[in-house]
Amino acid sequence: MTSDNLKKRAESAKKKQAQFGEDIDLDNYEYTSSGTSEIESIDDVSSEDQALVREVGFDTSQENVSGSFIQFDTESILADVLLTQEGLEVLPMSQALEQYDWLKDYLWKAVPVDVDKYTARSELEQYNGYFIRAKAGVKIDMPVQSCLIMKKNQSVQNVHNIIIAEEGSELHIITGCATPSNVEQSLHLGVSEFYVKKNAQLSFTMVHRWSENTDVRPRSAAIVEENGTYISSYALLSPLKSIQTFPKVRLVGSGAKSDLYSIIYGTKNSKYDIGGLLSLEAQRTSGKVISRSIATDSSEIIARGDLVGLSSQTKARLECDGLLISDSAVIRAVPMLVARAEGAELSHEATVGKVGAEQLNYLMSRGLDEEEATSLIIRGFVKLKVPGLPPALQSSIDDAIKMSLEGGM
Amino acid sequence: MCGNLLETRDLRVEVNGVPILGGIDLEFEPGLVYAILGPNASGKSTLAKTVMGLPEYKITGGDILFNDESILRKTITERAQLGIAYAFQTPPSISGVKLDDFICRICPDYQCKAEADTLMGETCACKDVLYDDFERLGIRNLADRDLNDGFSGGESKRSELFQVLSMRPKIMFLDEPDSGLDYDSLKVVGHELKALREKGDTTLVIISHHRYVLEFLEVDKVYILQQGRLVYTGDMSDIPALEEKGYEKFLAEVTG
Ligand SMILES: Nc1ncnc2c1ncn2[C@@H]1O[C@H](COP(=O)(O)OP(=O)(O)OP(=O)(O)O)[C@@H](O)[C@H]1O
Ligand SMILES: [Mg+2]
Repeated sequence: MTSDNLKKRAESAKKKQAQFGEDIDLDNYEYTSSGTSEIESIDDVSSEDQALVREVGFDTSQENVSGSFIQFDTESILADVLLTQEGLEVLPMSQALEQYDWLKDYLWKAVPVDVDKYTARSELEQYNGYFIRAKAGVKIDMPVQSCLIMKKNQSVQNVHNIIIAEEGSELHIITGCATPSNVEQSLHLGVSEFYVKKNAQLSFTMVHRWSENTDVRPRSAAIVEENGTYISSYALLSPLKSIQTFPKVRLVGSGAKSDLYSIIYGTKNSKYDIGGLLSLEAQRTSGKVISRSIATDSSEIIARGDLVGLSSQTKARLECDGLLISDSAVIRAVPMLVARAEGAELSHEATVGKVGAEQLNYLMSRGLDEEEATSLIIRGFVKLKVPGLPPALQSSIDDAIKMSLEGGM
Repeated sequence: MCGNLLETRDLRVEVNGVPILGGIDLEFEPGLVYAILGPNASGKSTLAKTVMGLPEYKITGGDILFNDESILRKTITERAQLGIAYAFQTPPSISGVKLDDFICRICPDYQCKAEADTLMGETCACKDVLYDDFERLGIRNLADRDLNDGFSGGESKRSELFQVLSMRPKIMFLDEPDSGLDYDSLKVVGHELKALREKGDTTLVIISHHRYVLEFLEVDKVYILQQGRLVYTGDMSDIPALEEKGYEKFLAEVTG
């Protein structure tokens, strides 16, 4: 698609409200017009900012990672690959687009530019983001870490990311997003497009920590080819103003597989509308959408999950579990199954409830007091085990969960 | 009689407004082994759960004394901490809480002297002896499973037993610890309880429908409940006749 064409489609969708989530007036924010500056090395990042990125799991020593990417607002960027790591690219999107002419074919291919006003706006304003690629056949053991930090008031962080796992490659990415708590009002627009080629494996782990004044509207989608695997895990553990996201994974090659995990720990007045859609478009594709939500304080959580079976011999499962800790919080689980082909085997389980009296009494009979019993049940509930995830990434999730619970309880 | 560890006095209990126990007097002395028997629905489990303090069981009259003091106002936790334990018939499953971590948590003896941040059953380090004990009970496979999640009937019995044993209580109510167990597991449970009896510092109250464990342990006293009342107090020598005649005939003869 030519870029003129893209702009035209984006213009036409500029006022198109999103299907879900509270509407945001995009004209209330400032967009960047200056270019991005490059940060040479992590040593050039202030110690304050280093502490901030560490909070979302970023390893500033960079010892156990194959590559790193940090972006502050839409302005400055650090992109780094371990010298000895072959077959891995981590580049700012602006640079990657200049470098590779073919990359524009991937831009807005998984996520249509005219989905809603957020994608449209993202295209129309200046953006940056990361391009991460594992070349064909390369197995990258250590994860790539990325971090998007939003520091400016009243402004928009406009990010467009493209991740490509070429044929037969293996790539693990952990990404953290954070806003310092002194930011008064801000908006994160994040477009992420994932391409998992034949026999490739990609895992994408997100640990996010926004501020109470941040609205977040990520738009992401993945396309998984024959026998490819895409695992996404999302831990959202801090309060924010609102988030609405509904990533879509298309399994287009036979034998493709995808598991989407999310854990939401709702606090304060935060509003969450988080979903995941698996579209099973080829034979023998399979996957899971697993979500766990805990609502405390006055938080509102909508947990969506859609399975769409478009081909025979497909199998997918949806699990949506919610635990309500406060009387003024709300959880709504919205599971949806659509089968359009014979032999699509789709199932779901959804539970929403308070900490069960039966469980509490049981634990108390073993000598725990009510508070200890409640906290044990909650801790058990939020444990998110992601099969197939490298241990280092699993422990990043575990640590983040532990940290939030300790802060909140 | 004085020197009771626990006693119920004219205990009356209802569930959802329906009277279940109609005034029960029972006494439990320290270190002895008791059997509570009686037909289905006679109120045996209700009695045990009421002593434990489960809230569905509403006490409408009478009292429960532990070391001569009423425990009616005590919470479940307080009762557990006093030394009362109850092995559930159908324990609820709790996801994300592993059985070994949990046992470590309720029994400090198993816990390595670990740093403070290993609390809450997160990465609690347990001593090897814990796994030896799992092995002995034949449930090593349950150690890193979620509490009661998908445990088979027989596994559940042994996991419950292990937990209440770990609490080192003064009195434990075992609700059919022998039901649904295969021959080998029955022996394991029998030996475990026998060892406890020989140590002599725990009062055992066993609710059961089978004679094997009761005879193996040589119970000291047998209480028979019927329709929410204590109708007979005897000892081990009554068990063969009970089995032969069944409750109806046995009770008709003895209460005649
Ligand atoms: N939570 C409850 N809700 C309603 N009814 C109850 C409840 N618990 C006990 N009951 C009733 O109380 C009566 C006694 O039950 P209990 O479980 O104490 O019997 P039991 O002697 O243990 O029987 P079994 O030998 O079958 O285990 C039964 O009629 C039972 O249905
Ligand atoms: Mg019973």
